[in-house]
Amino acid sequence: MPDWMQFVRGQLPPLHVGIERENEIVAELALQAEQAYQEAISAGATESEAMRRAQAQFQDWKKLGRDINRAVRGSWFTGSLHDVRYAFRYLKSNPGFAAVAVLTLAFAIGGNTAIFTMVDALALRSLPYREPDRLMAIETRKTEQPELEPWTSALDFFDAREQTHSFGSMAAISPIWSVALTGRGPAERLESLFVSAEFFPMLGVKPAAGRLFMQAEDKRAQPSSVVVISHSLWQRRFDNSPDVIGQALTLDNSVYTVIGVTPPEFRYLGAPLAGTASQIDAWFPLSSNQLTGSIRGLRFLKVIGRLRPGMTPAQAADEIRRFGAALAQRYPESNLGFSWSAMPLNQQVTGRLRLTMLLLLGAVGFVLLMACANVANLLLARAVARQREVAVRIALGGGAARLLRQLLTEGLVLAALGGAAGLPLAYYVLKLLIAGGPESLLRNRHIQLDARALLFSAAIVLATAILSGLPPAWRIVRHGIDQSLREAGRGFTAGHHRVRAALVTGQVSLALVLLVGSGLLIRSFQRLLDVNPGFNPHNLVTISTQMPAAARTPEQRTSVYRTMRERLLEVPDVESVAAVSRLPLLGRSLGSWIFVEGKSIPGAPLADVEYRVATPSYFSTMRIPLLAGRLYDEHDDANATGILLVNESLARKFWPGENPIGKRVKLGANLERQPWITVIGLVGDIRHVGLDTDPRPEIYRPYAVNPLGAPALVIRTRGDPAPLVNALSQAVRSVSADVPTYDVFLMDQLVDRTTRERRFVMLMLSAYALSALFLAGVGIYGTVSQAVLQRTREIGLRMALGASAGTVLQMVFGQGLRLVSLGIGCGALAALALTWLMRSLLFEIRPLDPIAFVAAALTLALFALLACYVPARRATRVDPLVALRHDG
Amino acid sequence: MAATDIKGSAEMIILALLEERPRHGYELAKLIETQSESRLQFHVASLYPMLYRLERKKLVEGRWVEKAGERRRRFYRLTPQGRRTLADHRRSWREFVKALNRLTGFSHA
Repeated sequence: MPDWMQFVRGQLPPLHVGIERENEIVAELALQAEQAYQEAISAGATESEAMRRAQAQFQDWKKLGRDINRAVRGSWFTGSLHDVRYAFRYLKSNPGFAAVAVLTLAFAIGGNTAIFTMVDALALRSLPYREPDRLMAIETRKTEQPELEPWTSALDFFDAREQTHSFGSMAAISPIWSVALTGRGPAERLESLFVSAEFFPMLGVKPAAGRLFMQAEDKRAQPSSVVVISHSLWQRRFDNSPDVIGQALTLDNSVYTVIGVTPPEFRYLGAPLAGTASQIDAWFPLSSNQLTGSIRGLRFLKVIGRLRPGMTPAQAADEIRRFGAALAQRYPESNLGFSWSAMPLNQQVTGRLRLTMLLLLGAVGFVLLMACANVANLLLARAVARQREVAVRIALGGGAARLLRQLLTEGLVLAALGGAAGLPLAYYVLKLLIAGGPESLLRNRHIQLDARALLFSAAIVLATAILSGLPPAWRIVRHGIDQSLREAGRGFTAGHHRVRAALVTGQVSLALVLLVGSGLLIRSFQRLLDVNPGFNPHNLVTISTQMPAAARTPEQRTSVYRTMRERLLEVPDVESVAAVSRLPLLGRSLGSWIFVEGKSIPGAPLADVEYRVATPSYFSTMRIPLLAGRLYDEHDDANATGILLVNESLARKFWPGENPIGKRVKLGANLERQPWITVIGLVGDIRHVGLDTDPRPEIYRPYAVNPLGAPALVIRTRGDPAPLVNALSQAVRSVSADVPTYDVFLMDQLVDRTTRERRFVMLMLSAYALSALFLAGVGIYGTVSQAVLQRTREIGLRMALGASAGTVLQMVFGQGLRLVSLGIGCGALAALALTWLMRSLLFEIRPLDPIAFVAAALTLALFALLACYVPARRATRVDPLVALRHDG
Repeated sequence: MAATDIKGSAEMIILALLEERPRHGYELAKLIETQSESRLQFHVASLYPMLYRLERKKLVEGRWVEKAGERRRRFYRLTPQGRRTLADHRRSWREFVKALNRLTGFSHA
């Protein structure tokens, strides 16, 4: 009697239905044929006649196949739906497999979506202004110290605005100014900016009420008392009433007329706000800022420009560079050593963040790849379970394509479920990130899951489906027909095992790269926290201020400062007060040329050092140690022009191994006219720019000699200074109606600010490295236990022949560790190639830091041992008798 | 009669045959052949696709059953929805026949 199953399979064209369903149909048709055949035989027909009758039952096989396809599947859509339903059924009957796969994917997809949303908002999206690609940031940098924050002086800005041609308009923005709103209920401190009249039109901002600045309100040296307020202030204090326009506001004891309200969504994202959480509530015309009348050397503005139509960013950058060089020639005293540059505004906003963000996106992408590898491993394990059926189907032809389709459908269903579970996860991860991340980085932006994030997750779901469905599918297609039949027993499994081993090796490699990366960041951060800033930041408050316009001579200014100091000392709990020209960690600096007696060569280019003017109490207030000589004191008044203090870096640079006390220097560019100045004391270095930037040579001169117009006050309190901040600002402003206070900070906050972003990136990367470690562990565990299961017979045989538990353990661990060491080797090579990309994020740690590499490899190896332990223990408990009966 | 009606009637025949008890494909084919005195001969070419369609529409339900001493076969039985559909079919046939009788004068009533 013929094999009716094979007969039907041979005749019936491929059905586009699930594998199990096709098997059922073939079996049913075979039964029908067999029945007809039997009936004919019992009726006395010959075998060939019976065979003919059985065949006649089906007439046209092609049509039958078509009809069945149409009947079973309905349309294409219901056919796919069938595949999907089939996949769901399978998952339902294997809840363990489903849960592990879906959770793994949910974790990876959720993480990816959250990080993508953050990275997108911070670094990828274009700026929310009119034609954002045409906006450029124009910067003046100290050529020798590009790490200093670039600021431009008002006079330089006015010249650039008039004399360059690449820009249709150019605007200047002041540092953040803190003003007190009084006279309307409780006093409130508002962050404000002074901007030139071009600012709002350049960005395309339309007022929510009233109007924005007119050119006439921003004429040089003709301040006008108008203010534009933020939408949030309007809401908070004026109940969104349109009556606010024309009202008078008392800000820092001066009266301003409200002329307009900015739209609710408006935020300026460029410098000086880039990377800060400051909410600007009041906008003033630039002309009303006291500093606009100051000298060319006082750099305090940020400049932006909109390209003239037809100009390219490169042309504009070139013109700005040449303009800067010309300025330096024309005004060497103030501009020599400074260079100008222009770059797209977007770059200024995101440049600092871009690398960090790409790093995080890469890390989370790695984790997704690892999750895909785990799911592919699970799918492979499941394919192994069905290997006989697979082999038969492939041998009978037409099955491979559908098997592939079904595996991919299974992948897709898993990925879609993972995506569905991952989205809520993304929502919470994002909330956590925004709440716990650095304020400066995250809280000033509009970050939320939106259509872009959904689209992105859909894309990664699709990619995940392909990535996790493809390895098993590829395995099946590559395997070919003959081999699969021949290997229908154990061999096929061995082939699967090779793919699984490759997947695990890949996972271990990825995990190692992430571990090395996070190790490097952790080590950098440790180093950073160990850095001594050179002063004691606890219980210190800083307030930047400005001398009143009436105080012009050094004597007048010194006297104003003394009054400020007295008023501040009257505030309870204030221990000491000092003033300095440039505060550390505020990103501002001022340099001077120096000629060192006996060291500098006349006529040769001069060295450049940091120039500070400080009151005598500055060093005790900041707790900067005196290392040799003496400090200047209250008696070193305006006539004490011949003395200065130097820091350690300067002494080391010019007088290595010598006592600097008594040495003489000249300051400034014009040497002949400058007097000799004698070093009277040596003080400790401080980290002026940030904890991660080396101190530079620095000199200090008595404040009385050169009382700058805009001193920064430093106030040391006996206890927590936070509650005193308002009283302290009030005390400063009480000196005169036109004395402002701005940049009011607790010094601890400033120190913290310099490390916060690093901490955030370090924590994020470490979290992802840990997840990678965990995923790799799951992968190793899965592969090794599968291998143990398949070798149960062999293990049993060995044990029956006298192998000890130790030998078996050794065998299993050996197999696991072979995979892991190969993975660690590949991962180390990849890490060698990749870590240099993050060198700018490292601090005092080389990208090839051996400790980070060794620690990562050891952690991974230990974890792998742990993952091998359970299957290894299971192997030693194999009962030889049971194992030998085992037919797997 | 329009094609849909023929298909509808073939469906009705199968549903009606399954109303009494579950049957397998070969039995259905035989029943149709004998009960209609070979006038309605169902080829396998149309019977199985029809069963699969009814199954997809959830009017019948197929299940592999192994009875003692017999081959493992796929038995089809009527679902509640199939039962309702059969009742609908019957009602409209009855109405159709009634109308036909009234028009042609062969009424018994």
